[in-house]
Amino acid sequence: MTGAALTRAALIERALMIAFAAFLVAVPWIIPALINSFWVSVIAEILIWSLFAASVNLLFGYVGLLSFGQALYFGFGMYGVAIGIDMFGLSFWPAFGLGIVAAMAMALLTGVFAVRLTWHYFAIITVVFSLIFYFLALSNKWLTGGDDGINFSLPPTFSLAGKQWSFTDSTFQYFFILATVALCFWLMHRLMESPLGKAFLAIRDNDVRASLIGLNVYLLRLVAFVLAGFLAGVAGALFAFFGRYASASYMFYHVSGEAVVWAIVGGAGTLLGPIVGTSIFIVIREVVSTHWEHHSLIVGVMAIVVVMFAPKGIVGLWRGWLERLDERGEAAAGTVERKLRTEP
Amino acid sequence: MDKLLLLATNGLIWGLIIALIALGLAIIFGLLDIINLAHGDFFMIGTVIAWATLQQTGNFWLAFLAAPLIGCILGALIQRTVIQPIRNVAALSIVATFGLSLILQESVRITFGPTPRRILPPIQTTIPLFGVDYEVYRLFAAAVAIALLVAFFLFLHHTKLGTWMRAVRHDRDTAIAMGIPAQRVYVITFAFGFALAAVGGVVAAPITTVDFRGGVDILPFCFMAVIIGGLGNLPGTAAAAILLAFLEGIIQSVANPTVARIASLVLMSAVLLLRPQGLFKGLTR
Repeated sequence: MTGAALTRAALIERALMIAFAAFLVAVPWIIPALINSFWVSVIAEILIWSLFAASVNLLFGYVGLLSFGQALYFGFGMYGVAIGIDMFGLSFWPAFGLGIVAAMAMALLTGVFAVRLTWHYFAIITVVFSLIFYFLALSNKWLTGGDDGINFSLPPTFSLAGKQWSFTDSTFQYFFILATVALCFWLMHRLMESPLGKAFLAIRDNDVRASLIGLNVYLLRLVAFVLAGFLAGVAGALFAFFGRYASASYMFYHVSGEAVVWAIVGGAGTLLGPIVGTSIFIVIREVVSTHWEHHSLIVGVMAIVVVMFAPKGIVGLWRGWLERLDERGEAAAGTVERKLRTEP
Repeated sequence: MDKLLLLATNGLIWGLIIALIALGLAIIFGLLDIINLAHGDFFMIGTVIAWATLQQTGNFWLAFLAAPLIGCILGALIQRTVIQPIRNVAALSIVATFGLSLILQESVRITFGPTPRRILPPIQTTIPLFGVDYEVYRLFAAAVAIALLVAFFLFLHHTKLGTWMRAVRHDRDTAIAMGIPAQRVYVITFAFGFALAAVGGVVAAPITTVDFRGGVDILPFCFMAVIIGGLGNLPGTAAAAILLAFLEGIIQSVANPTVARIASLVLMSAVLLLRPQGLFKGLTR
């Protein structure tokens, strides 16, 4: 796709992306002016959970493995930070690192077993692994605080020449989260453009053929699993800093299930699908729950309606609409030509 | 020793009830290829029906009529409206049934209320057993569960509808070519799956609490039974449910319930990795 031949659809998408990025950067100023400053932290929370949904999406949307246990790695990210600060007295960055390393190590350890299985079996063994550690976390209160969790006081993120930046400044907190999440999404975009990403897609579409052209399917799935553990771990670590605590309840399978729903409703196998899905559900939750306590009724109906009428998710619906727009444009110009799509 | 026997008996009885619910899950899984995340809530609806029947009529036993009836109607309705349109894409069924689970839980929370309630056992007598006064209702519940399990397998193997269900599961296209109305079989299977879980709920209601979150703990347990028993292996599923609950009961006599739960989860991972076709592959058929 060269710059000269940008279609109308690609132009619309690019314009929307720029508008979206501009909106995200402007949030700390326009949101308090338009609504109130509480919504800045809601948007920060959406960003964190989007990253978590992206870890489900990496496995399901790009490699074809439906994990119902990503909450385990989210929980390890949280506890890595909380235990690092509360018990070992670590400062910000080492604790952040500990959370990510803990999540990735756990993903490697469980992945070695889990990726030997596929489809139903994979979905269920990931739930089982996450349940085992959920119950372990519940019963080892001395380490994890159980359901009550661990509260900790935040160390500063940067201290330079006597000046300190930390999450207590909500604008700094927002931008730190935005930058981290954006970096992860950019890395994921680069990953999917790389040969490794193409190998993932080959496995998703047909694992037998992928192995026949010489791809090591087991190893590639394990790599994807650890990378997904990384994304979930970063999300968990950020959420621990954001909430200043960690709790076993975030390792329950319901948390994993919500991320699966967000990713599929948004559009599995698309970069931005998880952001779209997560935003919709959290915005509904925040808007409705202040007026009506039974907001999960709406969430349930939404989930069903979307899979019935937009089986490829909201981004899939949007892409389909754009493609029809393009085809109409090309038909008018008389240059109908089938393009090779490398991205799903 | 008495404590061990007592907990093992409790585990066995609970296992028989779980076997009923897990069978419902297994027929939906086996025939429609749907991972039904709302199945625990079907059980929960059963417990609520038991509570409501007792409140309205003062007669607990009527719930054994009401639950399968309501379960079948709701099941058929859900299959037609929600499951049928997305049947071809199994991944979507997870999202749809997750949504369904939220809807069922929230509807019960609105109507029934958020506080858990208890139902007194309809049979109040106790008998001395292993050194305690054991509730006769628990033994009765076990008997009912066994009777229903036997009835279900008789239905599956000795009625036309049961044969249809096995035929469609075995080879859908051939079954359709032979004139079996596969569409109707799907609706009936889902309805029966709901009804089995709801009846399990009625049986269990006087033993556990009636709570809108009552299905959340049941669900992983039922999935464990289905997997350890082997996907699509119905007798295996029932046996695995009983075995799992029995083992948890025994482990509970020496350790706390959480350790028991962890032990059965570890057992399940081992089964998944070493014998993914289920523990009983090769024993039946």
